[in-house]
Amino acid sequence: MTIFTFALKRIFKDKTNLIFLTLFPVAAIFLPEPEYWPLLPYGYHYFGVLILFVGIRLTGLLVEDRQKGVVKRLAAAPVTHFQYLFQNLLAFSVIVIAQCIFMIAGGVIYDHELHEPLLLLILFIVFSFTAIALSLAWNSLYRNKETSFLVFMCVIIIMALLGGIMMPIEMLPDVLEQLAVIFPTYWLAEGMEWVVMGEDTADFLLINGVLLLYTLLFLIIGSIRRMG
Amino acid sequence: MTIAAMQGIVKRYGNELALDYVDLSIHEGEIIGLLGPNGAGKTTLIHTLLGMIPFDKGSIQLFGRTEKVFSHENKQKMGLVTQELTVFEDLTAKENLEFFAGVYGLKGEERKKRVEEALAFVGLSSNAGKTPAKFSGGMKRRLNIACALTHHPKFLIMDEPTVGIDPQSRNHILETVEKLREQGTTILYTTHYMEEVQTIASRVVIVDQGQIITEGTVNELIANIQHEEKINIDVSTPGDVPVERLKGLEGVKNVHVDGSTVQIISTVGSGNLDRVLSLVKETSGVVGIQAEKPDLEDVFLTLTGKQLRDGEEE
Repeated sequence: MTIFTFALKRIFKDKTNLIFLTLFPVAAIFLPEPEYWPLLPYGYHYFGVLILFVGIRLTGLLVEDRQKGVVKRLAAAPVTHFQYLFQNLLAFSVIVIAQCIFMIAGGVIYDHELHEPLLLLILFIVFSFTAIALSLAWNSLYRNKETSFLVFMCVIIIMALLGGIMMPIEMLPDVLEQLAVIFPTYWLAEGMEWVVMGEDTADFLLINGVLLLYTLLFLIIGSIRRMG
Repeated sequence: MTIAAMQGIVKRYGNELALDYVDLSIHEGEIIGLLGPNGAGKTTLIHTLLGMIPFDKGSIQLFGRTEKVFSHENKQKMGLVTQELTVFEDLTAKENLEFFAGVYGLKGEERKKRVEEALAFVGLSSNAGKTPAKFSGGMKRRLNIACALTHHPKFLIMDEPTVGIDPQSRNHILETVEKLREQGTTILYTTHYMEEVQTIASRVVIVDQGQIITEGTVNELIANIQHEEKINIDVSTPGDVPVERLKGLEGVKNVHVDGSTVQIISTVGSGNLDRVLSLVKETSGVVGIQAEKPDLEDVFLTLTGKQLRDGEEE
């Protein structure tokens, strides 16, 4: 598990990563509860955006490896490309799971009204996996980590706006409202709404199922590019 | 014992033929200098040999195996020093080595020992805790080499390991290669610096346009193209040079006087230097003497009509 261990080490050595992983979630916990919209405290809605940022930051390591030729060097070593990807993705997953637990636990301790904290945790974890897979696929299109990050920032804002995280989807024109379903953020927003008001468990399973399907699709796209 | 053998290897990138029926055998304990201009196919050849890229035709044998050639067991016995600096800038030198040692299956105390050993081997022990960002170009290159050494490869492939560094660091790296040879490591060393190959290689393979155009020891390759010897003698009184008497000496093919320099061209192995020198000394006074010997650059130029360094046609 060398690749896994060193992926964690490299992530925690980066100060910007530490800010994304610790300071921002803490700040999100302390954001106030809204009067009408969103249904959950502001911080928990914005956490979805933060997860996307974390995803692109973490998977940026893989672009860096490709850029530096480390992936090429590893192709000559007794380790498969699958092992390399799997161990890195495992390290990223461990980090985002810990962050989601921290976020929910923080909310419970701070006495936020989270309605179903455990289900919200599951939703955030599943969305985190989608965010990592999406970032992996996104990064596979780029040779340069910085360019990838900059363009993805715009994509995040668009996805957050059109997906219903930053504002109610009902405020969008009909066409955009229909288009919103293609964004994973839409399903996150739907999931958060279900946590507050949902009754039928099948709906919650469907939301998580769609997010997991997205995860699978993005993982496949992101894994195709090997050495670059 | 043959460590690696390529037979009839063909590799195409679209319509471009990168390797054109390459046959190459590498024996235990050798340092093979793989020489060729940029774009000659050196890197493609080694990537193919390492199983990093597929090939279109031919067969490869590694450590006596013809089946499952690129198994983890075989990869464990090989090391690659990449042309690019493939080290992690955010990890210290020691952590970089720990990573690559771990990837090659080393654990615990054994890994710790090998990492320290590799750091000492390339002279980076005192900088073990620093990140490569604080290293000079030469130190980064040495770290890049050390990353391929922790698992003690039997067969080490070094792809242009001295590109872009100062002569002092280059010498340090060449000394490291010599030390590895003394330890019994078989090395395939690719470069387009012929001086390096002349210094360290026990056998030279010259590649151009995806083909191996010749191979042999440095002396063999030079002998193959050398048909005459040239001696330049600087004299004090050029007017007194006995041109006709010199031409009359056995083996002398021609004599030119250019200013205060007399150039004497003889057939290879004529062994007439003593007689030439004594004759010039007694008539014209010898100030200096230089023997013009062909080198690998001349071999390359003769065989391909190109300069080795830049691959440009003459």
